[in-house]
Amino acid sequence: MLIAACTLIANFTAPIEIGTTPASMLWMFPLVASVAIIYKATKLPKITTRNFIKETTVLFASIVMFMIAVAIVLYGFAWFVIE
Amino acid sequence: MNWRSKENHLLFLLIVGLSAWVVPGAGYYLLNEKKRAIIVFVTIVLTFCIGIYVGSIGVIDPISSGIPYAGQIMNSPFVAVLAHKTAGGNYPVYSKPNEIGQIYTSISGLLNLLCIINSIYLAHLKKIETAGE
Repeated sequence: MLIAACTLIANFTAPIEIGTTPASMLWMFPLVASVAIIYKATKLPKITTRNFIKETTVLFASIVMFMIAVAIVLYGFAWFVIE
Repeated sequence: MNWRSKENHLLFLLIVGLSAWVVPGAGYYLLNEKKRAIIVFVTIVLTFCIGIYVGSIGVIDPISSGIPYAGQIMNSPFVAVLAHKTAGGNYPVYSKPNEIGQIYTSISGLLNLLCIINSIYLAHLKKIETAGE
């Protein structure tokens, strides 16, 4: 039990390895989920499980779609400048 | 509203705001919004924990990363305890883990700031509704 607790605490004292790769962009998903959840938790007048999940999912998908659209535009712009 | 009740109202708003800062979601709990309180608490704490898991507690650095620290301290005043521990540069962290850890911890703090302001606003609205009845 003590070893497990020490291991758990030790996990927070050294950073994990994340390379500068396209896969590191996947780290945006948990953060987007947090933003969507908190935003909807503050905005909905009454929280019911079904409605909350629905609203949060729609907001999560909207943010992700918008970010993908921006990424495509920026990629196109970068390609245009380089070529 | 006489001055006495106005004073009590301001004190209540202050208590709601402070408790929402000390424990994320506690402001909603005081307003009897238990579902909201649980959602906010779990989300803020989880986001902050992901941040310090990715970048270690070294991402909380008030000396060399002042601007991210301004966001991080909004999670809870207990972040200052971690900052005191990491102030000497005992937990160095660089590159992507540092960036991602700082982004996660700062954003969770800013989301908590949104919740603090919202809970104070809700407390104010509830008082007005009660006074109007």
